[in-house]
Amino acid sequence: MKLNQYTLRNLLLPLLLIMAVWALGFYSLVLHEVNDETEDTLLNYKEIIIKHALADTTLLKDDVGLMNSYFIREIPAEQADLSKDVFFDATKYIEIERENEPIRVLRTHFLASNGKFYELTIEISTLEEEDLKETILWSILGLYLLLLAAILLVTHYVFRKSFRPLYSILDWLRSYHPTKPEPLLNATTIDEFNTLNEAFSQAAQRGAAIYNQQKQFVELASHELQTPLAVSMNKLELLSEDPDCTEAQLTEITDIRRTLRGLIKMNKSLLLLSRIENNQFPETQEVSLARIAEEVVADFAEVFAAREIRVYTMKESPLIRQMNESLAVTMITNLVKNAFVHNLNGGEIYLETTDRQLILSNTSENTELNRERLFQRFGKQSNRPDSTGLGLAVVKSIADLYGIEVSYNYNGKHQFALTFEL
Amino acid sequence: MKILVIEDEDSLREVMVRSLEKERYRVEWAADYPAALWKINDYQYDCIVLDIMLPGGNGLSLLEELKNMRKRDSVIIVSAKDSIDDKVRGLDLGADDYLTKPFHLAELNARIKSIIRRKQQDGEMDLSYANITVYPDRHAVYIDGVELPLNRKEFALLYYFVANPERLLSKDTLAESVWGDYIDQADSFDFIYSQVKNLRKKLKTAGAQPEIKAVYGFGYKMINEE
Repeated sequence: MKLNQYTLRNLLLPLLLIMAVWALGFYSLVLHEVNDETEDTLLNYKEIIIKHALADTTLLKDDVGLMNSYFIREIPAEQADLSKDVFFDATKYIEIERENEPIRVLRTHFLASNGKFYELTIEISTLEEEDLKETILWSILGLYLLLLAAILLVTHYVFRKSFRPLYSILDWLRSYHPTKPEPLLNATTIDEFNTLNEAFSQAAQRGAAIYNQQKQFVELASHELQTPLAVSMNKLELLSEDPDCTEAQLTEITDIRRTLRGLIKMNKSLLLLSRIENNQFPETQEVSLARIAEEVVADFAEVFAAREIRVYTMKESPLIRQMNESLAVTMITNLVKNAFVHNLNGGEIYLETTDRQLILSNTSENTELNRERLFQRFGKQSNRPDSTGLGLAVVKSIADLYGIEVSYNYNGKHQFALTFEL
Repeated sequence: MKILVIEDEDSLREVMVRSLEKERYRVEWAADYPAALWKINDYQYDCIVLDIMLPGGNGLSLLEELKNMRKRDSVIIVSAKDSIDDKVRGLDLGADDYLTKPFHLAELNARIKSIIRRKQQDGEMDLSYANITVYPDRHAVYIDGVELPLNRKEFALLYYFVANPERLLSKDTLAESVWGDYIDQADSFDFIYSQVKNLRKKLKTAGAQPEIKAVYGFGYKMINEE
């Protein structure tokens, strides 16, 4: 859930409640006030009528008007209660309108100057009052909704405005990569965001610095290793050419050279990885991956033959893409080599190319491999001494450079697929 | 034949010098930029083996100096840097070849031989050993003047033997010379055996005098016993 939505949702519930209570309270207060006003009018009216009646007993008779009427009726003394004013609502049939209209009634008792007790009933039409109540109700409801909408809208915009720096930071973080750190351009006058900007910039710089140090370290270490490796290899070469060398010594030398070759190979792969990461292969051209794969397989023909490994090719498309040729060759060679090294004697390799995929499958004595470690450096899952554990890492690194997806599947055979963008 | 080895790493320079001396070249060396500059200024060499990372200056500027002196010494760059930029710059500045460390001495030897031969002939280059002559530029082999058809890999093998006659070549060196860096499965070097066997048979049928001899399990050597 978005922070914005979350805030609005959290704001909406209490607002709905508080404003509903407020609206109800306001409405009932107004109603109460209106009732009070009517009752005051009735009481005033009562005072006037009684005052007049007391002065002049001839006025002790009913009066029926359009808006208000009163009725006077004599009552026995024992029924009279002079302290009582009773208010109630009622309806009255109006002949002209042919319908019942709401009225408010005040019933009270009084003692006239002639010594008799009377009951006074005053009726006042509350038709206007009803109208008033209705208008008030609708106004409050409208106001309620309008206010709610206004508050939410304003909150939404204020939120967007105040949190814009946060979203810039998030955008920047999403595109951040230690290989190409971009400066965080997020000018703001808000202290908290300035602090956050600073913290993130510093963390990013540290990250990039550490990344570069690591990269440089690997690069320098591999460079520094080149010369001593060359010296050792060349000295062994000279030693083996010595005519006094015995067969046993030559066998020993062969073993040392084998180990040394592994080291040289590993070092070369590490250098290659650094160079790919440093983008040192900028030149590209149109290459046919299917053709390269066929050539690589043909190159290895004798090597395969020595282990009686058969290769089956299925070519649907030349699979032409814009790539650096030597990287394309390295990527495919590493995959082919992988399919060969981990194969069985007398095993099989299947090479399949479609218009967007290059798939290599091979038989092997290994069962399904761990996908997580498969493409990691030194993530090798066999103890073969002739495997550097870098071949697939190189494949992955090249694939990443060109947005190619590398996937591994196991269906009795180990299947590596390169999926290219169309 | 005079060769100058410019390399600051003592032990590497020493093995290169020893290996070249075995090929009966006159070898001189320099360990830093000023010494190298002084040598190329004062003498003429058939081939200069140049490390481009030198104390006191860049090997590439030595190439420029050579150019300014209008000298035609052949140059092979040896570098720990396998960077295309350096390679292109080096070759642009007039270097004849570029070798990345680490390399096999046999490889260095083959390249030096080719360069010297090319310079001597000023035209199509060939290398000969006894009655075998190879033309690397057009991948052709002649035995006593009669062409021997070979496939690409057989040719690469034979070329390596002819460029390094009477020298013990290990299986891995040979495999690398044919299949490049990509061949690194030690247990698969046995296929070299069948390749050499084929080549041997073809040479013998064609009447070649030199013979490819196996040396224990280590490798092969081309010798001419006649």
